[in-house]
Amino acid sequence: MFTWRMMILAFLLPPLLVLAIDMTFYGGFKGIDSGVSFTRFANATLTAYTLCSLFLLGNLFFYGESRNRPWAPLVGMIMATALGVLATVFLIGQGPMLLEDNGSVRAQAIYNIIHMFVSSGAVLVAVSVALGVTFSAITSQKPRNDFELEEE
Amino acid sequence: MNIRCFGRGMDEMLQAFLLFWIPVSMVPLGLWYSMSSPLPSSPMRGRFLAFAGIVLVCLSPWTVPSSPSTAAGHLLGAIIGPCMLIILGIYLISFSGNVPVGKLPRSDRKIGVLMAGIGFVWLAGMHWWVLTPQLVPNEVNPYWYVFWPTFILLTSCLASCSAVTLLMIGEQRKAEANTMFIVSGLSFTVLLLGLNVDGPLVTGDEFREHLWLAVADLAGIVVGSVLSILVFALVIYLYERSLPEPKSITPPTESELKQVSSLIAAHLGGEEE
Repeated sequence: MFTWRMMILAFLLPPLLVLAIDMTFYGGFKGIDSGVSFTRFANATLTAYTLCSLFLLGNLFFYGESRNRPWAPLVGMIMATALGVLATVFLIGQGPMLLEDNGSVRAQAIYNIIHMFVSSGAVLVAVSVALGVTFSAITSQKPRNDFELEEE
Repeated sequence: MNIRCFGRGMDEMLQAFLLFWIPVSMVPLGLWYSMSSPLPSSPMRGRFLAFAGIVLVCLSPWTVPSSPSTAAGHLLGAIIGPCMLIILGIYLISFSGNVPVGKLPRSDRKIGVLMAGIGFVWLAGMHWWVLTPQLVPNEVNPYWYVFWPTFILLTSCLASCSAVTLLMIGEQRKAEANTMFIVSGLSFTVLLLGLNVDGPLVTGDEFREHLWLAVADLAGIVVGSVLSILVFALVIYLYERSLPEPKSITPPTESELKQVSSLIAAHLGGEEE
């Protein structure tokens, strides 16, 4: 029977296992600096929000084709994207909280974008491998006759 | 593959804009153009634009050595080979099996396994051998620390998820699920090896630090993307709700109904077997 809880648990199993092994052998969370991890999480969230909004803004052109090119959703999405940009600039400018090894807001923002491209590339390759191997595992089995019962 | 600085002829920012950021933007623009333009020649032009963008990004460490962003171009050049080998290998394995369309010869399966294997060994060699992407001698490309843990961790997570999905949704898919558990286990083993066995340039502690940063990164990507999708849905919902009710049309007349009935009757039925 399909349950979301099982799916999420299966997805989270590898990092949880690493945590469990670390706790067993080192008695704690070795290598985790909560401050640095939070900075990375916040930067990734802001950048993903802004870039994803920009991508969805592009999709609004396709939506507009079937709606006589309305301005309202376009303006709304431009505002949402601008909000992401402004929030990024404002929060990075607040000081060392969101600044990683970069000296200025602009350097950090550019670093965030490049970092996001590299992370997205890794995600894309991992998804391709997982889907591809699943598909090849299915196609490598002997063909099934799904109509056996009907024929009988 | 080391980078040496060449002479600077123009302003560094302009150089980075022209030789890195414009090629970066050429990739999505080319893909968008190839998919959306109705002209018959546009798919080819769009793909060429995207390809030219990728080539220029890969060359950016030499064309714009002053910009730190070009380290990403350097990484792309370093990993594009093994990644293409893996993806093409999996493609050959998949389509040389039992597929109803586009079936490849059975011999392609061995070539596919070999290609995918070489790709994985090549990537592993970047961690534990001399193939590590380096910007200058003994200085690891910082983006390698982003790519490698993210890729290994996510492959393990997705393969585990896929195995459980096959067991829960599929019927008699135990053999396939076992294959996915093996893939997840192998990725996890590589992850554990990375945490405990030092490479010539990448130590286990560095890998561990970047592994947790990769987890933070993935969590941030999920939260940010979900937020933007919610905002997008909200914008569309608010716009659609503000639209006036569509005008009602008058019901069909008797003659229109008769015409429709005759048309339907003319297209119903078939030959007796």
